[in-house]
Amino acid sequence: MTALIALEHVSFTYPGAARPALTDVSLELAAGDVLVVTGETGAGASTLLLVLAGFAPRVVGGHLSGSRSGTAQRCGVVFARPWTQLTGLCPTVRDEVAFGPASLGRPRDAVLAAAGRALEQLRIPHLADREPGQLSGGELQRVVVAAALAMGPDVLALDDPAAELDPEAADALYDLLPAIARAGTAVVVATPDLERAARVATRGVVLDAGRLVAQGAPAEVLDATDAAVIARAAGCPPPLPLDVPALVRRVAR
Amino acid sequence: MIGYVPGRSPLHRAHPYTTLALAGAILLGAFALTGPLAVWLLVLAAAAFAAVGGVLRASLRTALVLSLPIWVLLFVLHGLLGAEPRIVLGPVALSAAGVARALVLGGRVTAIVLGFLAALATASPHALVEAMTADGVPFGRTFLLASTLTVLPRMRERAVQILEAQQCRGLRLGGSPVARLRALGPLVLPLVLGALAEVDEQVLALDARGAAGAARRTALAPPNDSAGQRVLRWTLLVLVAAAYAWKFRSMRG
Repeated sequence: MTALIALEHVSFTYPGAARPALTDVSLELAAGDVLVVTGETGAGASTLLLVLAGFAPRVVGGHLSGSRSGTAQRCGVVFARPWTQLTGLCPTVRDEVAFGPASLGRPRDAVLAAAGRALEQLRIPHLADREPGQLSGGELQRVVVAAALAMGPDVLALDDPAAELDPEAADALYDLLPAIARAGTAVVVATPDLERAARVATRGVVLDAGRLVAQGAPAEVLDATDAAVIARAAGCPPPLPLDVPALVRRVAR
Repeated sequence: MIGYVPGRSPLHRAHPYTTLALAGAILLGAFALTGPLAVWLLVLAAAAFAAVGGVLRASLRTALVLSLPIWVLLFVLHGLLGAEPRIVLGPVALSAAGVARALVLGGRVTAIVLGFLAALATASPHALVEAMTADGVPFGRTFLLASTLTVLPRMRERAVQILEAQQCRGLRLGGSPVARLRALGPLVLPLVLGALAEVDEQVLALDARGAAGAARRTALAPPNDSAGQRVLRWTLLVLVAAAYAWKFRSMRG
């Protein structure tokens, strides 16, 4: 299967930075993936998201070496703070969600239909006529995700999307991700919230100081138990620590 | 009050070009008119403009607050330090020509500020974006103009939040002018730095939603224009041109 996005030995340095934020990263993203990228603060997870989504270096500047290829034509992006992602010019949620498809110059009916589908997909059609500025953080983040989906992206990149949400809204947002992936959009989430991320991920990636140090099944690389975190920090290859299910898997292999 | 206030007045229902043309005519007219009487008639026209929009009281209050320091400065500069002859008012001897000059300059400032506050309060940024989109104006230019109309209310909202947060952390705003000046730092720095950080995210979010694309945007609900409004806009243009022609002619004479 052709990858939606493939990175081969990619390194990326921000403008004016002395050190690269990403070093020699290789990974592939396919339709249906829910890829979770994690690591300590400053490990490069957000930067990897920007590179995957094609914003670095095109929009943020800097220097990229290695190769980024794949069939993905359009990437949606969602950041932690939903209010920074609003246009600030739309009086209703419907207008806000329709902004993207309207920018593509599609006919009016197609734009409104795409906005309606995205609102349905995020289970928020009841918010369509509300003013974005009057929504809660959780509702607003769903509007932002709907706005990204209305564009029909091949890849949806979310940078710590639940950082500003209460636990209930965060759960609700993460619960939507597998359905979005099943509908054909690859989902990439950069987050330190391993508990929620491991629940929805199909694959996990761990970064450390810009280098990819682990990649694989969520149970192997996104285990948030203390023992697993210590084992990873000590550089023990998964599946360590060797609990019973991991032992069974290892013997079965 | 600075920023759009939803309403159903004739100005709210007017095409945004008409509202902006009226404010623009007040601006240009203020510099074309030279006598105190003419300038103060223009102030009355600006007040009538605000009254038609149902925002007279709020606009007038803000306009007076904004123009008061300029009035004081003008009266000190022209009234106290102006040329002879002088009018004696109690202990103060004011320059007659200086007072007339201050009245003209102060009237101009008040008319311009009042006109623009009324236009900001009654011209919906969304309607303006839709109107410009329907006319095929590139989104970059549209966004530049529309975000200029919305930036002040957003900054004010943010400033209030920062002020409350800093006061919770013990910031004291009272005391001597030096203490007040010192208190500005903890307010202005987060305001400016926060705004810059958010701009970064908004640029990426808008780019992801096709704002920088080459396609011509689809206008979803362009505001209604009418022959009457178009005639009004052209009439304003002719009146402003005539005022400048008259001004230059009288300058030569």
